[in-house]
Amino acid sequence: MMKKINSCSFRGVFPCLIVSLLLITSCKQNQSGQKHHTAKTGSAEIKYAKGFNIDYYDHYKLVSIYSGIGAHADTTQYVLLAKGAKAPEGYKKAQLIQIPVQSLIAMSSMHIALADFAGAANAITGLGSLKYVSSATVRKNIAAGKVKEVGIDGTMNDEMLISMKPGLVMVMGDPDAKFSKYETLSGAGVPVMLNSEWLETTPLGRAEWVKLMAALMDKEDYVNTKFDAVEKEYNRLAAIGKKAVTKPTLVCGMPFKGTWYVPDGDSYMVKFLKDAGTNYKWADVHGKGSLPLNFEAVAPVALQADFWLNVGTVDSKNDIKAIDSRYADFKPFKDNHIFNFNKKVNDIGSNDYWESGAVNPQLILSDLIKIFHPELLPDYQLVYYKQLN
Amino acid sequence: MNKIKVLVLLSILVVALLLDVALGSVHIPLKDVIKILFTPDAGNETWVYIIEKIRLPKALTAIIVGCGLSVSGLQMQTLFRNPLAGPSVLGITAGASLGVALVMLSAGSITSLYTIKELGISGSWLIIMASSLGAAMIMILIVSISSALKDNVIVLIVGVMIGNITLSVISIWQYFSSPELIKDYLLWTFGSLGGVTGEQLLILAVVVFAGLLISFLSSKLLDALLLGDNYARSMGLTVKRARILIIGSTSILAGGITAFCGPIGFIGIAVPHLARALFNTSNHRILIPACCLIGTVLMLICDIVAQLPGSQTVLPINVITALVGSPVVIWIIAGPTKLRGF
Repeated sequence: MMKKINSCSFRGVFPCLIVSLLLITSCKQNQSGQKHHTAKTGSAEIKYAKGFNIDYYDHYKLVSIYSGIGAHADTTQYVLLAKGAKAPEGYKKAQLIQIPVQSLIAMSSMHIALADFAGAANAITGLGSLKYVSSATVRKNIAAGKVKEVGIDGTMNDEMLISMKPGLVMVMGDPDAKFSKYETLSGAGVPVMLNSEWLETTPLGRAEWVKLMAALMDKEDYVNTKFDAVEKEYNRLAAIGKKAVTKPTLVCGMPFKGTWYVPDGDSYMVKFLKDAGTNYKWADVHGKGSLPLNFEAVAPVALQADFWLNVGTVDSKNDIKAIDSRYADFKPFKDNHIFNFNKKVNDIGSNDYWESGAVNPQLILSDLIKIFHPELLPDYQLVYYKQLN
Repeated sequence: MNKIKVLVLLSILVVALLLDVALGSVHIPLKDVIKILFTPDAGNETWVYIIEKIRLPKALTAIIVGCGLSVSGLQMQTLFRNPLAGPSVLGITAGASLGVALVMLSAGSITSLYTIKELGISGSWLIIMASSLGAAMIMILIVSISSALKDNVIVLIVGVMIGNITLSVISIWQYFSSPELIKDYLLWTFGSLGGVTGEQLLILAVVVFAGLLISFLSSKLLDALLLGDNYARSMGLTVKRARILIIGSTSILAGGITAFCGPIGFIGIAVPHLARALFNTSNHRILIPACCLIGTVLMLICDIVAQLPGSQTVLPINVITALVGSPVVIWIIAGPTKLRGF
């Protein structure tokens, strides 16, 4: 792997720390302009997501993205301004983003989904990889040569990016993401936003990042209406799922070479499972999203489970048996109760579950309820999941 | 004296084997373990599954890996007359990894070579072949360099560098591969004993047994080579043929094991020294079985440690072999024992 060594990152650490500390303590006081809970295009209230916040003021919007936990907690701020508007005082460290963003570089399927949901998919002019796209609009633009491939996160082609002069580059942040990685870009006046939507612990929290996209695209009212519908439907379904009389047991994932990664109680996947009315063994284990268990620790559960979900890139029971003949002894294998989330894989091999699925949790929950309790949704057809035979 | 040592080693082996099968994430009382081992279809179905389908194959894999890697390391140390030679040091494992990467990153994951199976070639054999060929390629390269340069240290450095070049070729390839394939490959590089079952285990056993047989039959050749090419010639050996034979069996051993268990380090370099020190000989007729014994015991102990009895997680076996093997290597270089036989 190539690493860019940023000569000033070391020297910059201390001032950065001090400034960000000052910033965190002072940003509460320096509000130039009256706090105003509505912009021309409406405003958003963040109810589920823990990773970001938006404050609306008279002439600008302030986006805060939180990263890290505990002592490493950090906030990155962005001032969103309309063209020609004067930048507010007191946000020296914040990056300025001109809105609505005309040209967006997206680094993950999730970002494509956010733009698509906000009806702004045409603003995408660059992607980390052109191989992972489901959105019809974006694929049309790729075919027309309007979307460039800029290289996957960590090995982005900075020169190309800077010459494209995008309005915003959206990258995948993680708790330990060092912003210094992107200083070349931000130094050249290209705003970089570290999204960490995938760290959200609830499906609605993940989906709510569409409100951030709405703020960037000046589409608050439109997105709020859509998101409210998603939220209402999700909560309606969760109420149905939780009331289910039986709670089937299940295992998730596919072991590899003796290690089995299972989602832990803090992952959004387990929230789905709880809302779909299941009995999941690791629902109360706190962790980083998944637990690396050994095959033996999961086998007793898998041998007697009612269902087996999310088995990776396989397409049939034969594929599973070919990986390891031991899996054929699992009860879900014998009962034909294996379901995989790859029903919407397109011709280039991109799985829409990771794209539109992320902003349509109500559909994934419907799928799950249909799988575990078919009698609760008799007329429903699976969208993202399919049964393996 | 040697008999006592062998008996002691054998009893440690039996205890280690029993512990390896008895300990794990799921607590199974010892008497039930023994019952399951000796009477088919005894009692609790889940326990039977865990012992018969998870722990036993893993323990057998540990035995095979322990024998194969130790003997391939011994042969390399003799061939290069270099105490620091070993499959992982001289880039042989890297060569095998290149072979595996060739198959994995181009045809799909190592375990779901379904497409290839449909073409009529069994995936396991294909991986073994690719891996052994990769190992042999690097072996031949290093042997030809070492016959040109008589300096052991230079050969060692060249070997390490060739290993690095191989790994960077793999890295470049990974860079252009899809994330799923990279993930499979990356997990494979951690090394694991738990992923070999059924047919694969049989294939691995056959391949390693063949390699061990070749090396045992060539123990005289190895003894002669140890004393120098000129001496070997004076005994009427065709040095070139002997070399080819030894390279062949080393490649099969290291290649086969790397194919299924990933690049497991340190066992190959450490065990031969332990065997020489313990049995105080450089006679390969004794050293080869001794390596098998010590290698097996060491691998079983590493596996017991790796599965952290009672915990739900398992550590990659490579981590443990490095922890156990590195001190041995340090002891070889800096310790009081004179390097026997070199």
